Amino acid sequence: MTLYLLRRLLALMLTLIAASIVVFLVTEIIPGDPASFMMGINADPQAVAALRSELGLDQPLVTRYLAWVIGMVQGDFGLSYTYKVPVSELVGDRILISLPLTLYALLLSTLIAFPAGVVAAARRNTAADFAVIGATQLGVAIPNFWFAMLLVLAFAVNLQWFSAGGFPGWDAGFLEAMKALTLPAIALALPQASILARVMRSSLLDTLDEDFVRTARAKGLTRSQTLWRHALRNALIPVLTIVGLQFSFLLAGGIIIENVFYLPGLGRLVFQAITQRDLIVVRSVIILLVFAVVAVTFLVDIAYAVADPRLRRRAR
Amino acid sequence: MSVLSVRNLALSIGGTPILHDVDLSVEAGEILGVVGESGSGKSLTALSIMQLLPRSAKWAGEIEVAGNSIGAMNEKALCKMRGRDVAMIFQEPMTALNPVHTIGHQIAETILIHNECSRAQASERAAALMHRVGLDPKKISPDRYPHELSGGQRQRVAIAMAIALRPKLLIADEPTTALDVTTQAQILDLLRNLVKQDRMGMIFITHDLAVISNLADKIAVMRHGEVVEAGPTDTVFREMRHDYTRALFSASAHVPKREAHINADGEPVLAVDEVVREYARPRKSLFQASRPFRAVDSVTLKIRPGENVGLVGESGCGKSTLARAILALDRLQGGKILLNGRVFSQAGAGPDMRQRAGVQVVFQDPYGSFNPRHTVRRLVAEPLYLIENAPAGAEREAKITRALEEVGLQASDADKYIHEFSGGQRQRIAIARALIIEPSLIVLDEAVSALDVSIRAQILDLLASLSTRLGVSYLFISHDLSVVRSITDRVMVMREGRIVEEGTTEEVFLAPKHAYTKMLIAATPVLKAPAEA
Repeated sequence: MTLYLLRRLLALMLTLIAASIVVFLVTEIIPGDPASFMMGINADPQAVAALRSELGLDQPLVTRYLAWVIGMVQGDFGLSYTYKVPVSELVGDRILISLPLTLYALLLSTLIAFPAGVVAAARRNTAADFAVIGATQLGVAIPNFWFAMLLVLAFAVNLQWFSAGGFPGWDAGFLEAMKALTLPAIALALPQASILARVMRSSLLDTLDEDFVRTARAKGLTRSQTLWRHALRNALIPVLTIVGLQFSFLLAGGIIIENVFYLPGLGRLVFQAITQRDLIVVRSVIILLVFAVVAVTFLVDIAYAVADPRLRRRAR
Repeated sequence: MSVLSVRNLALSIGGTPILHDVDLSVEAGEILGVVGESGSGKSLTALSIMQLLPRSAKWAGEIEVAGNSIGAMNEKALCKMRGRDVAMIFQEPMTALNPVHTIGHQIAETILIHNECSRAQASERAAALMHRVGLDPKKISPDRYPHELSGGQRQRVAIAMAIALRPKLLIADEPTTALDVTTQAQILDLLRNLVKQDRMGMIFITHDLAVISNLADKIAVMRHGEVVEAGPTDTVFREMRHDYTRALFSASAHVPKREAHINADGEPVLAVDEVVREYARPRKSLFQASRPFRAVDSVTLKIRPGENVGLVGESGCGKSTLARAILALDRLQGGKILLNGRVFSQAGAGPDMRQRAGVQVVFQDPYGSFNPRHTVRRLVAEPLYLIENAPAGAEREAKITRALEEVGLQASDADKYIHEFSGGQRQRIAIARALIIEPSLIVLDEAVSALDVSIRAQILDLLASLSTRLGVSYLFISHDLSVVRSITDRVMVMREGRIVEEGTTEEVFLAPKHAYTKMLIAATPVLKAPAEA
């Protein structure tokens, strides 16, 4: 297991290095000079050149790359060109919204999807199954920003249970903050839960057709005992994969929902940074997201090994 | 009182009648052999007794287990009956166990489901059961997972699960079909002893007459959902009142007519010279590559024009790896392979594709080895691209037609798709595909193993006549010794990557020299001729 972890860790590091090079080069290639952008269209060329040298933009490519990477390793992500504040501060504030929102949405998605998928599979071709199939079809089809607006209309405008948007900050108290995140989390969770429920259902149905399920029934287990004790754990592998992918997607993919609810999250930060050519912010956020994705994949790999002993042999 | 009595059992699935008028009975300590080809309804008869039928199934008739009528039981009572009064062992040991639970847990589960006892007591009993089925818990820990065990060991676990509560009736559905002959012999012995010790009744379902003739007290022969003949084993084999029983018997013992005309002086069609095939093993350390596993270890062999050579051995002995190497599907780690005197494949270099047309292959699975979206014309014509100046137009059509007719199919079959054919017909199409470019050698990798005995006899006849007429050589790879004996001139026995014995087929079978060959032959069940029975 130690060797397995070491190898996964090594792969994680290599992925990060490769990603940092790609991200750096791409932000180099896209047109638009941060210095001239910051100084405005009518800026004095000499002033722009001075700013370029102040920002270190006149250094050779490799030097700038290394400076950036070494800075990050030391926890220094650089200064935002536009806001003139450390990027780490900027990102830190946003992540305190995006990460809880993602986890909240993922929790809701799993809590909805697991029971729905299990019920549908256990009662295949019954009204319950058809209801789940129909509801998840709808859940995948509805655009989530539109659903978000419906939620605002229903629960913020009419019922006034929640506020229509904004974030009071964690200082306002845990419950207040969570309340502000509830509608966005529901809007984010809906399509994810639909996908997850469908995967859960089909994976469980496949497993229920397996020989060992028949063996369990022949031993005298009831249908539901067979499902809980034998089928469920075997059906989890594809579901774990999807949960892992959803986490990565939600972390930065919530930009539209963040806009609908006026949440200052990571998605909005990247969007603004790109329009303002604040490349140092763009790079740092993207590297952070890559790190999150790779780290989650690592956790999913470990979860596989826990769920399925056949994978542990390779792990040893 | 019989442990099982089945009267007038009828079964339909989704409105299609499957079984009718099935009558069976089993006494305590008695073994009933149910024999028949695929689709005869033998497995569904077993599942009717267990009441583990598909949802769309409807059954009628009378099934009594130890005097209790199953028709009168609700699902709760049935769950109590399954595993306690009637237990079942299935064919495929590789998939019959849950991969995520330990074997000890799975054996103990049968006990825990039915008995009020503690987990510790159940584990203790599970360990005792493992001992009883020949798995020493000291050597094979109950904490192991199924994937860490061999097929035979897994089948022992399945048997331990089934006999845990000393059921009155044990149903074994082809329990040894997926196993090697030596393992099969051990499992049959084990079952025989368990039946004797516990005075269980057993239903042993099989397609293999040889296995059943040495095991069962009485036999029921099934065909198209009916029992066509039943009675004590000796009587059934002696009298064979029903035509189908006779046909089944003669197909099982079928020896195709062959005229060998081996060209002993000609250039060998295949010469395998000191061939080595290795597989990488998973790494144990981060910085050190682990030693590769040698699946084929310096094998040398020759096949002469027109010669049929058999390659036998148990699973994992390297025979399929050797076949892949001969087909140049994998790179060699040592030695070389010559086709008709020219190098086809050698260590350190890829295959010489110009030689590719000289060897073709027929695989075991007639269902998996065709692309379902291509017509038979395209499937059969596929190897033509291997030859230079491949025929086109009318000439190509003529070649396809001839290949199909050669294997007993018709020209009109070329426009059909593969799902329209039965398993036996598919294997004919596979042979047509191999024949179309007139190779000098065809590798038959378990080519008749998945077929029913009557179909198998037909395909063996076809292969024999093709070899006689066209002079093509075969490398016939199989775990089934009786089939190899019936169709080959020379046989090689493979074990742990090496050829341990080689000789003319009759010599090897009548006077085996190597201890391993002797063991294989001794373990192979022999169908007694009716006169002796």
